[in-house]
Amino acid sequence: MDLGRLEYLQALVTEFQVTESSEAKEQVLANLANFAYDPKNYEYLRQLQVLDLFLDALTEDNETLVEFAIGGLCNLCLDKTNKDYILEANGVQPIINCLSSSNEETVMSAVTTLMYLTTPQSRPQITALPVVECMLRFSLSTNRRLSNLAVVFLEDYCTPVQVEEARSLSKHTAVGIPLPKD
Amino acid sequence: MAAATGAEVGGACGHHAQRDVCASRANQHHQVYTVNLESRYLLIQGVPALGVMKELVEQFALYGAIEEYNALDEYPAEQFTEVYLIKFQKLQNARAAKKKMDERNFFGSLLHVCYAPEFETVQETREKLQDRRKYIAKATSSKDHFSKMPQEPKRTVSNNSEYDFQSPTSGFRAADRTVGNWDPSACFPDFYKTLHCDVSAGNIAHPSGYHSQSHLASPQCVHYSTKAYECFSYNPSLKPAVQQGGHKHVSASPALQRTFDNGIDRFMPRATQLEERKRKRDEGNKLGIIGTNSDINEVVIGPQLPEMPKVDMEDDSLNTSASLIRNKLQEVAASVPETLKENRQDIQAKPLVKQRRRI
Repeated sequence: MDLGRLEYLQALVTEFQVTESSEAKEQVLANLANFAYDPKNYEYLRQLQVLDLFLDALTEDNETLVEFAIGGLCNLCLDKTNKDYILEANGVQPIINCLSSSNEETVMSAVTTLMYLTTPQSRPQITALPVVECMLRFSLSTNRRLSNLAVVFLEDYCTPVQVEEARSLSKHTAVGIPLPKD
Repeated sequence: MAAATGAEVGGACGHHAQRDVCASRANQHHQVYTVNLESRYLLIQGVPALGVMKELVEQFALYGAIEEYNALDEYPAEQFTEVYLIKFQKLQNARAAKKKMDERNFFGSLLHVCYAPEFETVQETREKLQDRRKYIAKATSSKDHFSKMPQEPKRTVSNNSEYDFQSPTSGFRAADRTVGNWDPSACFPDFYKTLHCDVSAGNIAHPSGYHSQSHLASPQCVHYSTKAYECFSYNPSLKPAVQQGGHKHVSASPALQRTFDNGIDRFMPRATQLEERKRKRDEGNKLGIIGTNSDINEVVIGPQLPEMPKVDMEDDSLNTSASLIRNKLQEVAASVPETLKENRQDIQAKPLVKQRRRI
Protein backbone atom coordinates (compact mmCIF):
# COMPACT_ATOMS: atom_id res chain seq x y z
CA MET A 1 0.00 0.00 0.00
CA ASP A 2 1.45 3.32 -1.02
CA LEU A 3 0.43 5.56 1.82
CA GLY A 4 1.88 8.67 0.24
CA ARG A 5 -0.35 8.25 -2.75
CA LEU A 6 -3.43 7.55 -0.67
CA GLU A 7 -2.75 10.58 1.50
CA TYR A 8 -2.26 12.77 -1.51
CA LEU A 9 -5.50 11.64 -3.08
CA GLN A 10 -7.27 12.04 0.25
CA ALA A 11 -6.01 15.62 0.40
CA LEU A 12 -7.40 16.24 -3.08
CA VAL A 13 -10.80 14.84 -2.14
CA THR A 14 -10.92 16.93 1.01
CA GLU A 15 -9.96 20.04 -0.87
CA PHE A 16 -12.66 19.39 -3.43
CA GLN A 17 -15.23 19.14 -0.67
CA VAL A 18 -14.20 22.16 1.40
CA THR A 19 -13.05 24.69 -1.16
CA GLU A 20 -15.34 27.57 -2.08
CA SER A 21 -13.41 28.54 -5.18
CA SER A 22 -14.80 27.05 -8.36
CA GLU A 23 -11.38 27.44 -9.97
CA ALA A 24 -9.83 25.28 -7.25
CA LYS A 25 -12.67 22.80 -7.52
CA GLU A 26 -12.07 22.46 -11.24
CA GLN A 27 -8.37 22.01 -10.82
CA VAL A 28 -8.77 19.37 -8.13
CA LEU A 29 -11.36 17.48 -10.13
CA ALA A 30 -9.10 17.55 -13.19
CA ASN A 31 -6.36 16.13 -11.01
CA LEU A 32 -8.53 13.32 -9.74
CA ALA A 33 -9.86 12.54 -13.21
CA ASN A 34 -6.33 12.33 -14.55
CA PHE A 35 -5.38 9.99 -11.74
CA ALA A 36 -8.28 7.84 -12.87
CA TYR A 37 -6.48 7.18 -16.16
CA ASP A 38 -3.96 4.96 -14.41
CA PRO A 39 -5.27 1.58 -13.21
CA LYS A 40 -2.74 1.64 -10.41
CA ASN A 41 -4.84 4.28 -8.68
CA TYR A 42 -8.19 2.49 -8.88
CA GLU A 43 -7.91 0.88 -5.48
CA TYR A 44 -7.23 4.23 -3.80
CA LEU A 45 -9.91 6.02 -5.75
CA ARG A 46 -12.48 3.45 -4.68
CA GLN A 47 -11.35 3.64 -1.09
CA LEU A 48 -11.84 7.41 -1.15
CA GLN A 49 -15.20 7.07 -2.90
CA VAL A 50 -14.04 9.15 -5.81
CA LEU A 51 -16.45 7.23 -8.04
CA ASP A 52 -19.33 8.77 -6.10
CA LEU A 53 -17.63 12.12 -6.27
CA PHE A 54 -17.48 11.86 -10.07
CA LEU A 55 -21.09 10.67 -10.31
CA ASP A 56 -22.30 13.51 -8.08
CA ALA A 57 -20.37 16.07 -10.09
CA LEU A 58 -22.25 15.01 -13.24
CA THR A 59 -25.23 16.99 -11.98
CA GLU A 60 -23.24 20.18 -11.26
CA ASP A 61 -24.27 23.35 -13.04
CA ASN A 62 -20.66 24.14 -13.82
CA GLU A 63 -20.04 22.65 -17.29
CA THR A 64 -16.35 22.32 -16.66
CA LEU A 65 -16.91 20.20 -13.56
CA VAL A 66 -19.22 17.95 -15.56
CA GLU A 67 -16.59 17.64 -18.29
CA PHE A 68 -13.92 16.59 -15.83
CA ALA A 69 -16.19 14.24 -13.91
CA ILE A 70 -17.29 12.36 -17.04
CA GLY A 71 -13.65 12.30 -18.15
CA GLY A 72 -12.76 10.66 -14.86
CA LEU A 73 -15.54 8.10 -15.25
CA CYS A 74 -14.44 7.43 -18.82
CA ASN A 75 -10.96 6.76 -17.50
CA LEU A 76 -11.85 4.27 -14.80
CA CYS A 77 -15.06 2.61 -15.98
CA LEU A 78 -13.35 -0.24 -17.86
CA ASP A 79 -12.22 -1.86 -14.65
CA LYS A 80 -14.71 -4.56 -13.69
CA THR A 81 -15.11 -3.46 -10.07
CA ASN A 82 -15.56 0.17 -11.08
CA LYS A 83 -17.98 -0.76 -13.84
CA ASP A 84 -20.13 -2.80 -11.46
CA TYR A 85 -20.05 0.02 -8.96
CA ILE A 86 -21.19 2.64 -11.47
CA LEU A 87 -23.97 0.39 -12.77
CA GLU A 88 -25.09 -0.43 -9.20
CA ALA A 89 -25.19 3.28 -8.38
CA ASN A 90 -27.52 3.93 -11.34
CA GLY A 91 -24.81 5.89 -13.06
CA VAL A 92 -26.00 5.20 -16.61
CA GLN A 93 -28.81 7.77 -16.67
CA PRO A 94 -26.74 10.78 -15.61
CA ILE A 95 -24.13 9.72 -18.18
CA ILE A 96 -26.80 9.54 -20.90
CA ASN A 97 -27.83 13.03 -19.87
CA CYS A 98 -24.29 14.19 -20.66
CA LEU A 99 -25.02 13.45 -24.33
CA SER A 100 -27.06 16.64 -24.49
CA SER A 101 -24.24 18.79 -23.15
CA SER A 102 -23.04 21.66 -25.33
CA ASN A 103 -19.48 20.80 -24.40
CA GLU A 104 -17.98 18.55 -27.02
CA GLU A 105 -15.47 16.87 -24.72
CA THR A 106 -18.26 16.01 -22.28
CA VAL A 107 -20.27 14.41 -25.07
CA MET A 108 -17.35 12.39 -26.38
CA SER A 109 -16.37 11.14 -22.94
CA ALA A 110 -19.98 10.16 -22.37
CA VAL A 111 -20.19 8.19 -25.63
CA THR A 112 -17.02 6.28 -24.82
CA THR A 113 -18.10 5.70 -21.22
CA LEU A 114 -21.43 4.29 -22.35
CA MET A 115 -19.70 1.85 -24.68
CA TYR A 116 -17.34 0.78 -21.93
CA LEU A 117 -20.22 0.34 -19.47
CA THR A 118 -22.19 -1.93 -21.77
CA THR A 119 -22.88 -5.36 -20.26
CA PRO A 120 -25.70 -7.80 -20.99
CA GLN A 121 -27.56 -6.23 -18.07
CA SER A 122 -26.92 -2.57 -18.90
CA ARG A 123 -27.34 -2.92 -22.66
CA PRO A 124 -31.11 -2.26 -22.79
CA GLN A 125 -30.70 1.06 -21.00
CA ILE A 126 -27.56 2.12 -22.88
CA THR A 127 -28.98 1.31 -26.31
CA ALA A 128 -32.42 2.71 -25.60
CA LEU A 129 -34.07 4.33 -28.59
CA PRO A 130 -33.38 7.98 -27.68
CA VAL A 131 -29.69 7.17 -27.18
CA VAL A 132 -29.43 5.41 -30.54
CA GLU A 133 -31.19 8.32 -32.17
CA CYS A 134 -28.73 10.66 -30.57
CA MET A 135 -25.80 8.58 -31.85
CA LEU A 136 -27.29 8.64 -35.35
CA ARG A 137 -27.14 12.42 -35.28
CA PHE A 138 -23.66 12.45 -33.80
CA SER A 139 -22.55 10.15 -36.60
CA LEU A 140 -23.34 13.00 -39.00
CA SER A 141 -21.37 15.55 -37.01
CA THR A 142 -18.64 17.50 -38.75
CA ASN A 143 -16.47 16.74 -35.76
CA ARG A 144 -14.71 13.65 -36.94
CA ARG A 145 -13.77 12.54 -33.45
CA LEU A 146 -17.40 12.60 -32.40
CA SER A 147 -18.74 11.00 -35.58
CA ASN A 148 -16.17 8.20 -35.35
CA LEU A 149 -17.21 7.40 -31.79
CA ALA A 150 -20.88 7.47 -32.71
CA VAL A 151 -20.33 5.15 -35.68
CA VAL A 152 -18.47 2.68 -33.47
CA PHE A 153 -21.34 2.85 -30.98
CA LEU A 154 -23.93 2.19 -33.68
CA GLU A 155 -21.98 -0.58 -35.39
CA ASP A 156 -20.61 -2.41 -32.39
CA TYR A 157 -23.14 -1.91 -29.62
CA CYS A 158 -26.48 -1.68 -31.38
CA THR A 159 -28.31 -4.19 -33.54
CA PRO A 160 -29.16 -3.22 -37.12
CA VAL A 161 -32.81 -3.39 -36.09
CA GLN A 162 -32.26 -0.83 -33.33
CA VAL A 163 -30.46 1.50 -35.72
CA GLU A 164 -33.17 1.14 -38.34
CA GLU A 165 -35.86 1.84 -35.79
CA ALA A 166 -34.07 4.98 -34.63
CA ARG A 167 -33.54 6.06 -38.20
CA SER A 168 -37.17 5.78 -39.15
CA LEU A 169 -38.19 7.53 -35.97
CA SER A 170 -35.83 10.44 -36.43
CA LYS A 171 -37.32 11.03 -39.86
CA HIS A 172 -40.54 12.09 -38.18
CA THR A 173 -39.09 14.22 -35.45
CA ALA A 174 -37.13 17.19 -36.68
CA VAL A 175 -35.99 18.37 -33.29
CA GLY A 176 -33.89 16.33 -31.00
CA ILE A 177 -31.05 16.92 -28.64
CA PRO A 178 -28.96 19.69 -30.17
CA LEU A 179 -25.40 19.05 -31.28
CA PRO A 180 -22.72 20.29 -28.95
CA LYS A 181 -21.60 23.83 -29.66
CA ASP A 182 -17.84 23.56 -29.77
CA MET B 1 -15.21 35.25 -58.00
CA ALA B 2 -16.55 32.64 -55.71
CA ALA B 3 -13.13 31.17 -55.29
CA ALA B 4 -11.61 34.52 -54.47
CA THR B 5 -14.23 35.21 -51.84
CA GLY B 6 -13.70 31.80 -50.44
CA ALA B 7 -9.99 32.36 -50.14
CA GLU B 8 -10.55 35.68 -48.46
CA VAL B 9 -13.00 34.37 -45.95
CA GLY B 10 -10.94 31.29 -45.41
CA GLY B 11 -7.77 33.27 -45.00
CA ALA B 12 -9.37 35.31 -42.29
CA CYS B 13 -10.63 32.11 -40.70
CA GLY B 14 -7.23 30.55 -40.71
CA HIS B 15 -5.74 33.55 -39.05
CA HIS B 16 -8.52 33.68 -36.55
CA ALA B 17 -8.09 30.05 -35.74
CA GLN B 18 -4.46 30.60 -34.96
CA ARG B 19 -5.26 33.38 -32.55
CA ASP B 20 -7.89 31.23 -30.91
CA VAL B 21 -5.42 28.49 -30.30
CA CYS B 22 -3.25 30.88 -28.37
CA ALA B 23 -6.17 32.38 -26.49
CA SER B 24 -7.52 29.07 -25.34
CA ARG B 25 -4.05 27.91 -24.46
CA ALA B 26 -3.85 30.77 -22.02
CA ASN B 27 -7.32 30.36 -20.59
CA GLN B 28 -7.69 26.68 -20.30
CA HIS B 29 -5.34 25.51 -17.61
CA HIS B 30 -6.88 22.18 -16.90
CA GLN B 31 -7.73 19.31 -19.07
CA VAL B 32 -8.63 15.74 -18.40
CA TYR B 33 -6.71 13.27 -20.42
CA THR B 34 -8.85 10.42 -21.79
CA VAL B 35 -8.53 7.78 -24.45
CA ASN B 36 -10.50 10.06 -26.78
CA LEU B 37 -7.71 12.62 -26.81
CA GLU B 38 -4.82 10.35 -27.55
CA SER B 39 -3.95 9.03 -30.97
CA ARG B 40 -1.37 7.35 -33.15
CA TYR B 41 -1.52 10.50 -35.28
CA LEU B 42 0.73 13.35 -34.30
CA LEU B 43 0.44 16.82 -35.70
CA ILE B 44 3.76 18.62 -35.82
CA GLN B 45 3.57 22.36 -36.09
CA GLY B 46 6.36 24.88 -36.29
CA VAL B 47 8.62 22.94 -38.63
CA PRO B 48 10.82 25.49 -40.38
CA ALA B 49 10.16 25.59 -44.12
CA LEU B 50 13.68 24.58 -45.03
CA GLY B 51 12.98 21.29 -46.74
CA VAL B 52 13.81 19.34 -43.61
CA MET B 53 11.04 16.76 -43.79
CA LYS B 54 13.54 13.93 -44.05
CA GLU B 55 15.31 15.05 -40.90
CA LEU B 56 12.00 15.48 -39.14
CA VAL B 57 10.77 12.03 -40.04
CA GLU B 58 14.08 10.47 -39.08
CA GLN B 59 13.96 12.21 -35.75
CA PHE B 60 10.46 10.92 -35.05
CA ALA B 61 11.28 7.45 -36.31
CA LEU B 62 13.62 7.10 -33.35
CA TYR B 63 10.52 6.56 -31.21
CA GLY B 64 9.00 3.78 -33.25
CA ALA B 65 7.81 2.65 -36.62
CA ILE B 66 6.07 5.30 -38.65
CA GLU B 67 3.25 4.13 -40.84
CA GLU B 68 2.53 7.27 -42.80
CA TYR B 69 3.56 10.87 -42.94
CA ASN B 70 2.46 13.92 -44.85
CA ALA B 71 3.12 17.57 -45.18
CA LEU B 72 -0.15 19.37 -44.53
CA ASP B 73 0.36 22.19 -46.95
CA GLU B 74 -3.09 23.61 -46.51
CA TYR B 75 -3.00 23.60 -42.74
CA PRO B 76 -2.73 27.09 -41.28
CA ALA B 77 0.83 27.68 -40.19
CA GLU B 78 3.00 30.47 -38.92
CA GLN B 79 5.02 32.19 -41.59
CA PHE B 80 8.00 30.18 -42.84
CA THR B 81 6.89 27.09 -41.01
CA GLU B 82 5.22 23.91 -42.15
CA VAL B 83 2.86 21.43 -40.54
CA TYR B 84 3.33 17.70 -40.75
CA LEU B 85 1.20 14.73 -39.87
CA ILE B 86 2.93 11.58 -38.68
CA LYS B 87 1.11 8.35 -38.00
CA PHE B 88 2.86 5.86 -35.80
CA GLN B 89 2.12 2.17 -35.82
CA LYS B 90 1.69 2.11 -32.08
CA LEU B 91 0.08 4.51 -29.70
CA GLN B 92 2.82 4.17 -27.12
CA ASN B 93 5.37 5.22 -29.72
CA ALA B 94 3.33 8.27 -30.60
CA ARG B 95 3.08 9.02 -26.90
CA ALA B 96 6.82 8.78 -26.42
CA ALA B 97 7.55 10.85 -29.50
CA LYS B 98 5.14 13.54 -28.43
CA LYS B 99 6.62 13.68 -24.99
CA LYS B 100 10.18 13.98 -26.23
CA MET B 101 9.65 16.13 -29.29
CA ASP B 102 7.12 18.69 -28.11
CA GLU B 103 8.74 22.05 -27.50
CA ARG B 104 11.96 20.69 -28.92
CA ASN B 105 14.18 22.99 -30.90
CA PHE B 106 14.35 21.79 -34.49
CA PHE B 107 16.50 23.73 -36.94
CA GLY B 108 16.02 26.86 -34.90
CA SER B 109 12.29 26.59 -34.42
CA LEU B 110 10.29 25.19 -31.52
CA LEU B 111 8.17 22.24 -32.55
CA HIS B 112 4.67 21.94 -31.27
CA VAL B 113 3.57 18.34 -31.22
CA CYS B 114 0.04 17.27 -30.40
CA TYR B 115 -2.16 14.24 -30.84
CA ALA B 116 -4.46 14.45 -33.85
CA PRO B 117 -7.30 11.96 -33.28
CA GLU B 118 -9.39 13.92 -35.78
CA PHE B 119 -7.39 12.19 -38.52
CA GLU B 120 -8.40 8.72 -37.36
CA THR B 121 -10.69 6.55 -39.40
CA VAL B 122 -13.62 4.87 -37.68
CA GLN B 123 -11.65 1.65 -37.65
CA GLU B 124 -8.66 3.33 -36.04
CA THR B 125 -10.84 4.87 -33.37
CA ARG B 126 -12.42 1.49 -32.77
CA GLU B 127 -9.03 -0.16 -32.38
CA LYS B 128 -7.84 2.56 -30.06
CA LEU B 129 -10.83 1.99 -27.78
CA GLN B 130 -10.25 -1.76 -27.89
CA ASP B 131 -6.58 -1.34 -27.06
CA ARG B 132 -7.48 0.64 -23.97
CA ARG B 133 -9.93 -2.10 -23.03
CA LYS B 134 -7.22 -4.73 -23.37
CA TYR B 135 -4.73 -2.64 -21.47
CA ILE B 136 -7.08 -2.14 -18.52
CA ALA B 137 -8.05 -5.81 -18.52
CA LYS B 138 -4.41 -6.78 -18.36
CA ALA B 139 -3.48 -4.19 -15.77
CA THR B 140 -6.36 -4.94 -13.43
CA SER B 141 -6.14 -8.71 -13.73
CA SER B 142 -2.66 -8.57 -12.26
CA LYS B 143 -3.64 -6.45 -9.30
CA ASP B 144 -1.65 -8.56 -6.89
CA HIS B 145 1.40 -8.03 -8.94
CA PHE B 146 0.88 -4.31 -8.72
CA SER B 147 0.42 -4.15 -4.99
CA LYS B 148 3.53 -6.23 -4.43
CA MET B 149 5.62 -3.94 -6.50
CA PRO B 150 8.35 -2.11 -4.64
CA GLN B 151 8.09 1.60 -4.03
CA GLU B 152 8.29 3.44 -7.25
CA PRO B 153 11.24 5.65 -7.84
CA LYS B 154 10.51 9.33 -7.78
CA ARG B 155 10.60 10.92 -11.12
CA THR B 156 10.80 14.47 -12.24
CA VAL B 157 8.66 15.45 -15.10
CA SER B 158 9.21 18.39 -17.32
CA ASN B 159 6.65 21.14 -17.49
CA ASN B 160 4.80 20.13 -20.55
CA SER B 161 5.02 16.42 -20.20
CA GLU B 162 1.98 14.36 -19.72
CA TYR B 163 1.48 11.32 -17.64
CA ASP B 164 3.37 8.37 -18.78
CA PHE B 165 0.81 5.94 -17.54
CA GLN B 166 2.09 3.07 -19.55
CA SER B 167 5.30 2.96 -17.66
CA PRO B 168 5.29 1.05 -14.43
CA THR B 169 6.97 3.97 -12.74
CA SER B 170 4.15 6.35 -13.25
CA GLY B 171 5.07 9.85 -12.21
CA PHE B 172 3.00 10.16 -9.14
CA ARG B 173 5.33 12.52 -7.36
CA ALA B 174 5.44 14.80 -10.26
CA ALA B 175 1.72 14.58 -10.56
CA ASP B 176 0.90 17.39 -8.19
CA ARG B 177 2.92 19.58 -10.48
CA THR B 178 1.89 18.16 -13.77
CA VAL B 179 -1.71 17.15 -13.69
CA GLY B 180 -3.20 20.50 -12.98
CA ASN B 181 -1.06 22.26 -15.47
CA TRP B 182 -1.47 19.68 -18.11
CA ASP B 183 -1.11 21.54 -21.33
CA PRO B 184 -4.41 21.27 -23.12
CA SER B 185 -3.03 22.56 -26.35
CA ALA B 186 -0.58 19.74 -26.36
CA CYS B 187 -3.31 17.25 -26.80
CA PHE B 188 -6.20 19.12 -28.13
CA PRO B 189 -5.77 21.16 -31.21
CA ASP B 190 -8.21 23.87 -30.33
CA PHE B 191 -7.93 25.03 -33.83
CA TYR B 192 -10.21 22.24 -34.77
CA LYS B 193 -12.85 23.38 -32.38
CA THR B 194 -13.02 26.60 -34.27
CA LEU B 195 -12.78 24.92 -37.56
CA HIS B 196 -15.64 22.58 -36.87
CA CYS B 197 -17.73 25.48 -35.76
CA ASP B 198 -16.97 27.22 -38.98
CA VAL B 199 -17.83 24.24 -41.05
CA SER B 200 -21.00 23.46 -39.24
CA ALA B 201 -22.00 27.07 -39.49
CA GLY B 202 -22.09 26.57 -43.21
CA ASN B 203 -18.81 28.18 -44.02
CA ILE B 204 -17.81 25.65 -46.57
CA ALA B 205 -15.53 28.07 -48.35
CA HIS B 206 -12.61 27.34 -46.14
CA PRO B 207 -9.47 27.39 -48.19
CA SER B 208 -8.10 24.31 -46.58
CA GLY B 209 -10.28 22.26 -48.80
CA TYR B 210 -9.12 19.06 -47.30
CA HIS B 211 -10.80 19.79 -44.04
CA SER B 212 -14.24 19.87 -45.47
CA GLN B 213 -13.28 17.07 -47.69
CA SER B 214 -12.15 14.97 -44.81
CA HIS B 215 -15.41 15.55 -43.05
CA LEU B 216 -17.32 14.42 -46.06
CA ALA B 217 -15.21 11.42 -46.80
CA SER B 218 -16.60 8.07 -45.98
CA PRO B 219 -15.34 7.01 -42.62
CA GLN B 220 -14.09 3.73 -43.95
CA CYS B 221 -11.64 5.12 -46.41
CA VAL B 222 -8.54 6.95 -45.55
CA HIS B 223 -9.63 10.50 -45.40
CA TYR B 224 -6.80 12.40 -46.85
CA SER B 225 -6.23 12.12 -50.48
CA THR B 226 -3.71 13.57 -52.78
CA LYS B 227 -6.41 15.58 -54.37
CA ALA B 228 -7.23 17.20 -51.11
CA TYR B 229 -3.82 18.44 -50.30
CA GLU B 230 -0.21 18.12 -51.14
CA CYS B 231 1.58 15.23 -49.77
CA PHE B 232 4.97 14.04 -50.41
CA SER B 233 6.94 11.20 -49.25
CA TYR B 234 10.52 10.76 -48.60
CA ASN B 235 12.04 7.47 -47.90
CA PRO B 236 15.48 6.56 -48.94
CA SER B 237 14.78 2.88 -48.88
CA LEU B 238 11.76 3.00 -51.08
CA LYS B 239 11.43 2.40 -54.75
CA PRO B 240 10.37 5.52 -56.54
CA ALA B 241 7.17 3.74 -57.35
CA VAL B 242 6.19 3.81 -53.74
CA GLN B 243 6.43 7.55 -53.64
CA GLN B 244 3.00 7.85 -54.94
CA GLY B 245 -0.33 9.01 -53.82
CA GLY B 246 -1.28 9.90 -50.32
CA HIS B 247 0.00 6.82 -48.59
CA LYS B 248 3.50 6.02 -47.82
CA HIS B 249 4.18 2.76 -46.21
CA VAL B 250 7.58 3.10 -44.86
CA SER B 251 8.98 -0.29 -45.34
CA ALA B 252 12.40 -1.56 -44.63
CA SER B 253 13.58 -3.87 -47.28
CA PRO B 254 17.31 -4.04 -47.70
CA ALA B 255 16.88 -5.31 -51.21
CA LEU B 256 15.36 -2.08 -52.31
CA GLN B 257 17.58 0.31 -54.11
CA ARG B 258 18.42 3.42 -52.25
CA THR B 259 17.06 6.40 -54.09
CA PHE B 260 18.38 9.51 -52.61
CA ASP B 261 16.53 12.64 -53.28
CA ASN B 262 18.73 15.62 -53.25
CA GLY B 263 15.85 17.83 -54.17
CA ILE B 264 14.72 18.22 -50.62
CA ASP B 265 18.12 18.28 -49.08
CA ARG B 266 18.94 21.76 -50.10
CA PHE B 267 17.06 24.90 -49.52
CA MET B 268 14.38 25.74 -52.00
CA PRO B 269 11.83 28.49 -52.02
CA ARG B 270 8.47 27.25 -50.89
CA ALA B 271 6.85 27.68 -54.29
CA THR B 272 9.56 25.58 -55.85
CA GLN B 273 9.13 23.00 -53.17
CA LEU B 274 5.46 22.71 -53.87
CA GLU B 275 6.12 22.38 -57.56
CA GLU B 276 8.72 19.77 -56.86
CA ARG B 277 6.29 17.84 -54.71
CA LYS B 278 3.69 17.95 -57.39
CA ARG B 279 6.18 16.81 -59.97
CA LYS B 280 7.24 13.91 -57.76
CA ARG B 281 3.70 12.94 -57.13
CA ASP B 282 2.83 12.98 -60.78
CA GLU B 283 5.87 10.91 -61.49
CA GLY B 284 4.82 8.48 -58.82
CA ASN B 285 1.30 8.37 -60.16
CA LYS B 286 2.61 7.53 -63.59
CA LEU B 287 4.57 4.65 -62.20
CA GLY B 288 1.53 3.62 -60.27
CA ILE B 289 -0.53 3.49 -63.44
CA ILE B 290 2.09 1.41 -65.20
CA GLY B 291 1.62 -1.03 -62.41
CA THR B 292 5.00 -1.20 -60.78
CA ASN B 293 3.32 -0.37 -57.53
CA SER B 294 0.72 -3.07 -57.59
CA ASP B 295 2.70 -5.80 -55.97
CA ILE B 296 3.96 -4.03 -52.91
CA ASN B 297 2.77 -6.20 -50.14
CA GLU B 298 5.79 -6.64 -47.97
CA VAL B 299 5.30 -6.44 -44.26
CA VAL B 300 5.53 -2.91 -42.99
CA ILE B 301 8.07 -2.82 -40.24
CA GLY B 302 8.87 0.82 -40.20
CA PRO B 303 11.29 3.16 -41.78
CA GLN B 304 14.78 2.17 -42.53
CA LEU B 305 17.24 4.89 -41.97
CA PRO B 306 19.40 5.68 -44.94
CA GLU B 307 22.46 3.62 -45.62
CA MET B 308 25.74 5.26 -44.91
CA PRO B 309 26.97 7.03 -48.01
CA LYS B 310 30.13 5.62 -49.42
CA VAL B 311 32.02 8.84 -49.57
CA ASP B 312 35.10 9.10 -51.68
CA MET B 313 37.72 10.65 -49.45
CA GLU B 314 40.00 11.21 -52.47
CA ASP B 315 42.82 9.39 -50.82
CA ASP B 316 43.47 5.65 -50.76
CA SER B 317 44.50 5.57 -47.16
CA LEU B 318 41.54 7.60 -46.04
CA ASN B 319 39.23 5.44 -48.11
CA THR B 320 40.61 2.33 -46.47
CA SER B 321 40.04 3.80 -43.05
CA ALA B 322 36.57 4.87 -44.00
CA SER B 323 35.62 1.44 -45.24
CA LEU B 324 37.11 -0.09 -42.09
CA ILE B 325 34.97 2.15 -39.94
CA ARG B 326 31.98 1.45 -42.11
CA ASN B 327 32.42 -2.28 -41.78
CA LYS B 328 32.98 -2.02 -38.06
CA LEU B 329 29.79 -0.02 -37.69
CA GLN B 330 27.89 -2.59 -39.69
CA GLU B 331 29.19 -5.32 -37.41
CA VAL B 332 28.11 -3.41 -34.36
CA ALA B 333 24.82 -2.75 -36.04
CA ALA B 334 24.10 -6.42 -36.40
CA SER B 335 24.23 -6.87 -32.66
CA VAL B 336 22.89 -3.51 -31.46
CA PRO B 337 20.42 -2.14 -33.95
CA GLU B 338 19.45 0.74 -31.67
CA THR B 339 22.89 2.23 -31.61
CA LEU B 340 23.25 1.81 -35.28
CA LYS B 341 20.25 3.95 -35.96
CA GLU B 342 21.81 6.83 -34.17
CA ASN B 343 25.21 6.34 -35.68
CA ARG B 344 23.78 6.30 -39.11
CA GLN B 345 21.78 9.32 -38.27
CA ASP B 346 24.85 11.22 -37.15
CA ILE B 347 26.92 10.28 -40.10
CA GLN B 348 24.07 11.02 -42.41
CA ALA B 349 23.46 14.40 -40.90
CA LYS B 350 26.87 15.83 -41.72
CA PRO B 351 26.89 15.94 -45.49
CA LEU B 352 23.32 17.17 -45.46
CA VAL B 353 24.07 20.14 -43.30
CA LYS B 354 26.95 20.95 -45.57
CA GLN B 355 24.74 20.84 -48.61
CA ARG B 356 22.27 23.27 -47.20
CA ARG B 357 25.04 25.85 -46.92
CA ARG B 358 24.99 26.16 -50.70
CA ILE B 359 22.40 28.88 -50.55
